[in-house]
Amino acid sequence: MKQIEIIQLGAVLIGAFCFGTLFNLKGKKLLASAFGSILSWGLFLLLGRVIDNEPVNYFIVAVVVSLYSEVMARLLRTPATPIVTTSLIPLIPGGSLYYTMAYAFESDFSKFLAKAVSTLKLASALALGILAVTALSQLIFRRWNTQRTGIKLRSTGSKK
Amino acid sequence: MNHTNMEHLLDCIMDIGEQMLISGAEVHRAEDSLQRIFAAYGTKRTDVFIITSSMVVTIHTTDGKVFTQTRRITETAADYEKLHRLNELSRSICQSRCAPSEIRRQLDEINTGKTCPLWQEFICYAVIAAIFTMFFGGGIAETLTGFVIGALIRLMLLVCDRTVHNKIFAKFMSSMMATALAALAMHTGLIPTVDNVIIGNIMTMIPGIGLTNALKDLFVGDSIAGLLRTIEACITALAIAAGYFAVVFLAGGSIT
Repeated sequence: MKQIEIIQLGAVLIGAFCFGTLFNLKGKKLLASAFGSILSWGLFLLLGRVIDNEPVNYFIVAVVVSLYSEVMARLLRTPATPIVTTSLIPLIPGGSLYYTMAYAFESDFSKFLAKAVSTLKLASALALGILAVTALSQLIFRRWNTQRTGIKLRSTGSKK
Repeated sequence: MNHTNMEHLLDCIMDIGEQMLISGAEVHRAEDSLQRIFAAYGTKRTDVFIITSSMVVTIHTTDGKVFTQTRRITETAADYEKLHRLNELSRSICQSRCAPSEIRRQLDEINTGKTCPLWQEFICYAVIAAIFTMFFGGGIAETLTGFVIGALIRLMLLVCDRTVHNKIFAKFMSSMMATALAALAMHTGLIPTVDNVIIGNIMTMIPGIGLTNALKDLFVGDSIAGLLRTIEACITALAIAAGYFAVVFLAGGSIT
């Protein structure tokens, strides 16, 4: 493990605590988010050694961390959004977004385009990962909730 | 339940929905909760329509009366402790079907709950900015600069909040200030490059919650609410970029 990786893991942990405090998360929920951030960045670093494709790694990490958040949310009976957001913050392509902006001012158009495309790829991979799990949990838990409470809700989607 | 009581109940439940949206719930969560609560009270039909800035609810009682109320939501402030308690409250209402006055009492208790104090927010912004400066490869001097600028960003957001009441403009101003200060620090020789400091400070302003909620709402079929949130998040991101561009333009095309 390189030194920068240890620094990064420590950084995401502290970062998660701070974001959690900003979202007013307390106790176990805060701990769950902090662990999620370690999980997401640790998994990303590990995957980087096996698969040499950043967007794919982003997608896998997003799926795993979203699953983790949905499970934690059910266990702690709390919304999943703050947990998944705090956990995935290290993956937000803030760096590549910045370099895209910075390259926009240099005359090197190909550099700018390459960075813009890679930022877009990373962001979509992240979004797709979250979406995949949301879709899955909606399928499972909506039915489960209906069975548990005996209250059937009209679906929000289009009906045949 | 008689009519005055039903109207009172609708009023209380609308307030729960409103507070849920304010504290950062997805739109489909608020709609779901309201549907469930009214179903538990045995209304004949409930129509709930919620988008990020407005709620409309109509209930038909079993004896043929119809009640409608609307709410306009103008502010949001992520507070997940509050949302957690609101969730618990709506769950317990579904079970106990308690009287509106009891709901009102519990809601008031939740509304006066402890939020993140301002000084803690200042520290959090500063630490997040510093920690992500380090995360993206910044050294000690850059991390410390990031720390100071992070706290100043919170100050800028506070000033904008008190004066112009415009979140997009606040983000624009903060991003502009962060870029300008980072450039200044570099020119006075405090830090070697501006990149990491600016990235670290951008991380404090990124609309993460907004985007996550937008994605979730979009997928579960609340297309209008999802799109509104997506656009809101995109405009916020554009404002951050615009703040950076404004400084670079003023500096004549380059800040390095």
